[in-house]
Amino acid sequence: MADLAYAFSKRHLLGIEGLNRLDIEDLLNLGDRYVELNRRRVKRADILAGRTLLNLFFDNSTRTQSSFEIAGRRLGADVVTMQVATSSVKKGETLVDTAITLNAMKPDLLVIRHASSGAVKLLSRKVDCGVINAGDGSHEHPTQALLDALTIRRRLGDIGGLRVAICGDVLHSRVARSNVALLNILGAEVRLIAPRTLTPPGAAGWGASLFTDMRKGLEGCDVVMMLRLQQERMDGAYLPSAREFFHFYGLDDEKLACAKPGALIMHPGPMNRGVEIESGVADHKDRSLITEQVEMGVAIRMAVLERLAAAAPVTEPAP
Amino acid sequence: MSDRFVIFNARLIDPASGRDETGGVVVESGRILEAGAHVRPPASPSPADLDARGLCLSPGLIDLRVKTGEPGGENKETLETASAAAAAGGVASFVMMPDTDPVIDSLALVDFITRRARDRADVKVYPAAGLTLGLKGERMSEIGLMHEAGAVMFSNGDQAVEDAGVLRRAMMYATGFDALIASRPDTHTLTRGSVMHSGAFAGRLGLRGAPPEAEWIALSRDLILAETTGARLMIDTLSTGRSLEVVEQARARGLKVACSAAAYSLVFNEIDVGDYLTYCKVFPPFRPESDRLALIDGVKRGVVDAVVSAHDPQPPEDKRLPIADAAFGAVGLETLLSALLGLVAEGRLTLLEALRPLTSGPADVLGLPQGRLSTGAPADLVLFDPDAPWLCLRENLVSRSKNSPFDGRRLTGRVHRTYVDGRLIFRRG
Repeated sequence: MADLAYAFSKRHLLGIEGLNRLDIEDLLNLGDRYVELNRRRVKRADILAGRTLLNLFFDNSTRTQSSFEIAGRRLGADVVTMQVATSSVKKGETLVDTAITLNAMKPDLLVIRHASSGAVKLLSRKVDCGVINAGDGSHEHPTQALLDALTIRRRLGDIGGLRVAICGDVLHSRVARSNVALLNILGAEVRLIAPRTLTPPGAAGWGASLFTDMRKGLEGCDVVMMLRLQQERMDGAYLPSAREFFHFYGLDDEKLACAKPGALIMHPGPMNRGVEIESGVADHKDRSLITEQVEMGVAIRMAVLERLAAAAPVTEPAP
Repeated sequence: MSDRFVIFNARLIDPASGRDETGGVVVESGRILEAGAHVRPPASPSPADLDARGLCLSPGLIDLRVKTGEPGGENKETLETASAAAAAGGVASFVMMPDTDPVIDSLALVDFITRRARDRADVKVYPAAGLTLGLKGERMSEIGLMHEAGAVMFSNGDQAVEDAGVLRRAMMYATGFDALIASRPDTHTLTRGSVMHSGAFAGRLGLRGAPPEAEWIALSRDLILAETTGARLMIDTLSTGRSLEVVEQARARGLKVACSAAAYSLVFNEIDVGDYLTYCKVFPPFRPESDRLALIDGVKRGVVDAVVSAHDPQPPEDKRLPIADAAFGAVGLETLLSALLGLVAEGRLTLLEALRPLTSGPADVLGLPQGRLSTGAPADLVLFDPDAPWLCLRENLVSRSKNSPFDGRRLTGRVHRTYVDGRLIFRRG
């Protein structure tokens, strides 16, 4: 593929905030190429041969972690994954000490997931390699937003002008924050649908319109993105019950009918069937993009790894 | 008269009398013998005398909210290091909060702090005692005995007393000794787990916020209880403009209530938390700009009795963490004066307005004789350059802990000398 005149030059991918339209389009274009590669029988590229990718997961995640692992391996990198239980970090060395220790092992790229907002940024200040945020608390999850955009683009073409609804627990969702930012950059109309207790303060200023009535919010939407609702939010603190949430905010055929005919269904996973999404809708043959999102996840992560590895500073001394 | 000396050619700033004039101070036996424009340069200055060369001379600062790590957290700060930091900041007296380990909630511990401070600290340290045992908010402490032993106020430290019945009875009991109760206005059920001010910025950062309602609700409750019980109350670090209005309304009804604000609340707003800066994780949190401006106006109009450093030393292991896990608190003794002098340089306050809540304001809250340049008052003095610019770098701080939100900031106004009872305890250069 011909090189674009604009070169991606970011050292870290900490959030969608900080990216511009050209960065995003570059990553999506490259992602498209890796989708093709991933569908071949032999899925190898040697772009990262000899480079070390370190996956550092302070918070459990099966799918994001394996997605990054597969992406790294397919690019030929040496991939090491560390599951660090948050409790053991708390007991002994500080998070920063952990980062300094790992940095001394000279990884080229560091993928970090942490349960606290801002933790990935904190770590990125202490290391020399490129850092990819694989989700920090309720803050950002940029590769999720990129893979969502790639999924939509491959199905509907230009994202500009589309109407996209993001529904559910927006307050605690890093997926929502990253997606609102990215969809705005690409010119989509974004709607946030959530009960008031799960709507972040100041969300009206995010470049999205807010709805508490899901049926109204879904009117004319091309894409409906559902968010995962954590079990602990349903104990009466934020919501009275799972049953009541499903009644008003669970995506079923009846509510989906309020959206544009043929509207597409997305979910970042893992799903709570019967809580935020009804099984029949989740498994909708033509309209559910949920498994496609997983496929795009590997491709977009390969794109991100390639670009950041190229931008990473060369550590060996000049000859 | 070997202990007599004169500081002359000074710009005297004495909020107690409203004086801002060129003159001098005569000190003898640790007390102010004379102060005013009539104190002329001596015909033949003795070596003990000082030509201030136009620098400002004001009463030594009085800080009503300082935490040290002693006892129990000496890695954060000891009375000795806190005293050194205070002296470097022009603070001649401070009130030490009871949130230590063990909590200062018994006669023996009040006595321990008093003796320890006498031995180790150059500045005057006044213990605040725990209002409830262990600051648990359940059982009142020995208010009478600790009052007799020298506790200047009774505070539940960083936690508000949640149980209104406990607070009401403690207030009623305290009236028997005319003891001052300091209450931090917070409704814990609204702020539990919060990291910063609840607002659009916290929403973007994905951080749990403390809504200002938590302050307003507790403030109203405390004022009502003070009114009905007749207790002497100081609202400890209010942080919003609306809180000031509530205090003013209570005063208009005749209630005598004092209030303080943290110096950082006059300088920073919620946006300063920036990229999850843990040095900016404090309670009460940095509020919106409108609140900051309202608090400055409150200082200007004299509604705020005391501006405090809210000095709260925390070591790196408790601050170099994701912001949700990091400890609250910021050191402030060394930046207290500069925080206010910066507002003078911006034209928001006059020198007298800025110094009042650092000197006569807090002195009057506690009924202390210092904090004024008047004959017979203790010679607690600070000599400072109100315009000198400096760069605050954490490695240059005297305090044992370096967690200052001012780290890397340019500040205005520098302390040259600090005196306590006529004794020079700090000198820069």
